[in-house]
Amino acid sequence: MPAGGERRIRVLLAKLGLDSHTIGVTVIARALRDAGMEVIYSGLKQTPEMVVATAIQEDVDVVGLSSLSAAHMTHFPRVVELLREQGAGDKLVLAGGVIPDEDAAVLRQAGVSRIFTMGARTDDIVAYLREWWASR
Amino acid sequence: MVGESLAARVLAGHVASAARLIRLLEDERPEGRDALHELYPKSGRAHVVGVTGPPGAGKSTLVSALITALRKAQKRVGVIAVDPSSPLSGGALLGDRVRMQQHATDAGVFIRSMASRGHPGGLARAAWEAGVVLDAMGFDLLLVETVGVGQGEIDILELAQTTVVVCLPGAGDEVQAIKAGLLEIADLLVLNKADLPGAEQAQRHLEAMLRHGPASGWPRPLLRTIAAREEGTEALVQALAAHRAHLEASGELALIEARRARRPFLARVRERVADGLEAELANGPEARALLAQVERRTLDPYTAADRWLARAGGPT
Amino acid sequence: MAEPKAPRDRAAELRAAREAWERETLAPALAREGERQPRFETQALHWPVERLATPADLEAVGFDYLRDVGFPGEYPYTRGTEPNGYRSRLWTMTQVTGFGTGGEWARRAKFMLDQGLSGLIIEYDLPTTNGYDSDHPLAAGEVGRAGTAIDTLADMEAALDFPFERLRHLTSVCNGPQPVNLAMILAALEKKGVDPASFTLQMPNAILIEYTCVGRYIFPPEHGLRIATDVIEYVIRHHPNWLPISVVSAQLYAARANPVQELAFSFSIAMQYLDSVLARGLTVDEVAPYFSFITGVDMDFFEAVGKLRAYRKIWARLMKERYGATTPEALKLKLMASPGTMSLTLQQPLNNIARLAIQMLACALGGGGQVMTTPLHDEAHALPSEEAIAVGAAIQQIVAFESGAADSIDPLAGSYRVELMTRRIEAAVFAEIEKIDAMGGALAAIKTGYFQRELAREQFERNRAIEQGERKLVGVNLGAREDEKRGIEIFRLDSDSERRQIEQLARVKARRDAGKVAAALDQVREAAESDQNLVPPILEAVKLYATQGEICDVLREAFGTYTPDSLTTGV
Repeated sequence: MPAGGERRIRVLLAKLGLDSHTIGVTVIARALRDAGMEVIYSGLKQTPEMVVATAIQEDVDVVGLSSLSAAHMTHFPRVVELLREQGAGDKLVLAGGVIPDEDAAVLRQAGVSRIFTMGARTDDIVAYLREWWASR
Repeated sequence: MVGESLAARVLAGHVASAARLIRLLEDERPEGRDALHELYPKSGRAHVVGVTGPPGAGKSTLVSALITALRKAQKRVGVIAVDPSSPLSGGALLGDRVRMQQHATDAGVFIRSMASRGHPGGLARAAWEAGVVLDAMGFDLLLVETVGVGQGEIDILELAQTTVVVCLPGAGDEVQAIKAGLLEIADLLVLNKADLPGAEQAQRHLEAMLRHGPASGWPRPLLRTIAAREEGTEALVQALAAHRAHLEASGELALIEARRARRPFLARVRERVADGLEAELANGPEARALLAQVERRTLDPYTAADRWLARAGGPT
Repeated sequence: MAEPKAPRDRAAELRAAREAWERETLAPALAREGERQPRFETQALHWPVERLATPADLEAVGFDYLRDVGFPGEYPYTRGTEPNGYRSRLWTMTQVTGFGTGGEWARRAKFMLDQGLSGLIIEYDLPTTNGYDSDHPLAAGEVGRAGTAIDTLADMEAALDFPFERLRHLTSVCNGPQPVNLAMILAALEKKGVDPASFTLQMPNAILIEYTCVGRYIFPPEHGLRIATDVIEYVIRHHPNWLPISVVSAQLYAARANPVQELAFSFSIAMQYLDSVLARGLTVDEVAPYFSFITGVDMDFFEAVGKLRAYRKIWARLMKERYGATTPEALKLKLMASPGTMSLTLQQPLNNIARLAIQMLACALGGGGQVMTTPLHDEAHALPSEEAIAVGAAIQQIVAFESGAADSIDPLAGSYRVELMTRRIEAAVFAEIEKIDAMGGALAAIKTGYFQRELAREQFERNRAIEQGERKLVGVNLGAREDEKRGIEIFRLDSDSERRQIEQLARVKARRDAGKVAAALDQVREAAESDQNLVPPILEAVKLYATQGEICDVLREAFGTYTPDSLTTGV
């Protein structure tokens, strides 16, 4: 049985706004769990305020935001802003879904560390998170 | 807040610090132990309620509806929702709070999802510790939610002051609950999804079972709820308060608290002794010699254990 | 001349011949060169693919042409529901309509009708399909994006502001708040003086599919079903030439359902609606003709063809054997099949043209119904362009006019492999339907999360198979180009549009009679709390310019809202 004293990466997967596509979060949630991470899923129709409150209560290391509509430009920077305001700016914020390059650049400027668009391999996401974790 | 200890910040109500502390405790970090040491004397006020039952009973929805009712009554609520870790990878998918998210931004509510992390009982070792943190922080009620299958329900009995068992009507589900031994540990029994066909029948069946159960000073109520419509939760809040009052009046609370104090103490001692033995087996010639005899079948394992304990100066 | 041999002798002869072939011809060839992979499996179902199918295989399963296949236009419709296949009339070739706000959609509708199209599809934005007005906090950034924004009758009047004379068919995709949508269309038509009987309105009204895999639902499932049934019943009684229910199994396919799951879940869902409507006193022969099914096929050619043929046969058998339907209209499946999008890749998008052509060929050969659409080859990353639309149209025309695929009815019938595949899919679907029956039917399967968990497993499995290279995808894990860079385009509505929509909403609300609206909403509430059909009171409210959000809020109070737990989301 895995030891209780092992540090595990805690990840929050959140869907903001009205987009209800869940295939991406379903596949990624299982891949991260299979990689030994603890994945908290907060469901659909989340607001940035709900996501940030959840991220802080759950003491997650990583906040993964998913959007297959264009709401990412309204909501994602707001999540980063709120995290910083509430002293949680050291959490890694990632975005996934259908995000054009020009939007990705703006999101990175706003503090989203990395964008994984559709077609991104779960292996790559796991590797990225492990590298980030090791370098802290 | 700079310079203040983690425990001080938790006592001042700082959510991020409480969340961080629970994490440290889960990860068995020494900083966590130190803070727990400071906080433990401040705990003991909260009403600790275990919520268990078979999968599909609607526990998370019920917890969410209960939070709504408790908040109306001006109570501050902490929730610890436990789900199993994957035995293969050690990771976990924690989705109980999906149904509670309407309360996410309420400062009077703290929801923490917890993985069992291989704990054999299915209830995380750190659930008790998280309970101490939230208790010290001033939450009036702590709701601890686990799945009631296998050993899980025994753990909840030892952790909670009041145990609520949630089941639902349907082809023999109430029988399922009985088979799993859940009925015996329930202080309150909730028949959720009471709008489903078979509810009347399930209710009669369960009431009959309760009547035939062991007699005690507490008449175990059966409550009907439709958690998805937040129906029946006021009665549940009252029943919880009534049970707490009963525990205090009858002196049972003192017994429960004694049991609740014993459990982590004993568990810790067992853990340390076991750790010690593991270390011995890895490095110590005496323990290894005993084990070798057991492997060769020249000594049975129980006698070997007695001998090791006698050498270590422990109980015979 | 020798006497024809008795069947048993023929079978023995065939067996002996095959064994001889395996020994004398195949074995030496295999000894020289082994097979190129250890196992051959079908793409989605992972069924082993036989090396060689022969008449003996059909005999082994008791294949009987007359019973199992029959003739086109006759029960069990395996060879098609049209007696003359595509020889009299080809399928209607359609294309996507595009996005925008109400007025913009009306302009495009007029343009397309002027170009000679007679079928249009109107889709709505996320706030509308989720029952929120444009000024709701959750609507921010979404107004008018995924489709048209409809807050009040005024918006529907603007959307339908085009000449109706050339319109034959209008599809309105709304699902959750379908009765409000229906009411607004009826009220707008009345104001325009258009006779509803002059064209066909098709409303997929597919709320059970939304609970299963799309996620645009509002109320708990049993109430969603009641609402959908109210719409179906109302339309059958008042507008019998309209189509109030489509089971969009294409969405199940998009959620990675394999053909057996897709058909079994779809038919279980259809029967759930059917039972619900029949409980209101209508008969199966009256109701079944209103059902249509929309599906997509995938790359595995034989799974695709087998699925299409099994589709027709299973519906016919279910209607006859379970419901005792007797009229051809009730027994004939109304299917609209198209190439699916799940195998189209972001990488090397021109390859998708080949994929679409193969899938279109499968639709033509397997019989995809009377209306087919081609997805665009660059849909994954680009907005609809004239070029992509032209290529899509050309694919359909090349299959129809250059390949001969449409010139003989169900031409693959009799192929040993195709008939085995059709049979096997049929048997597996019936077995899965029985399993769902045992759970209590589709509604129960949704409420306990069975459909969702099955789909989540397929999604994870498929992703894994592609990442591990087990499932080949050219351009992704086979022949991928390292340096390929593919940008993504999305539709952006200008932010002024959202603001204007919100201002328009405020103006409409200011002009209306608030007292009458409140009274009308009370009537909706009363209907919701009883078993009255919701459409008439909603129609009254809509005419008084009650908003979509206000009406849905009344229903939310009466029915509650639906938040699935993680068991039922599959995550």
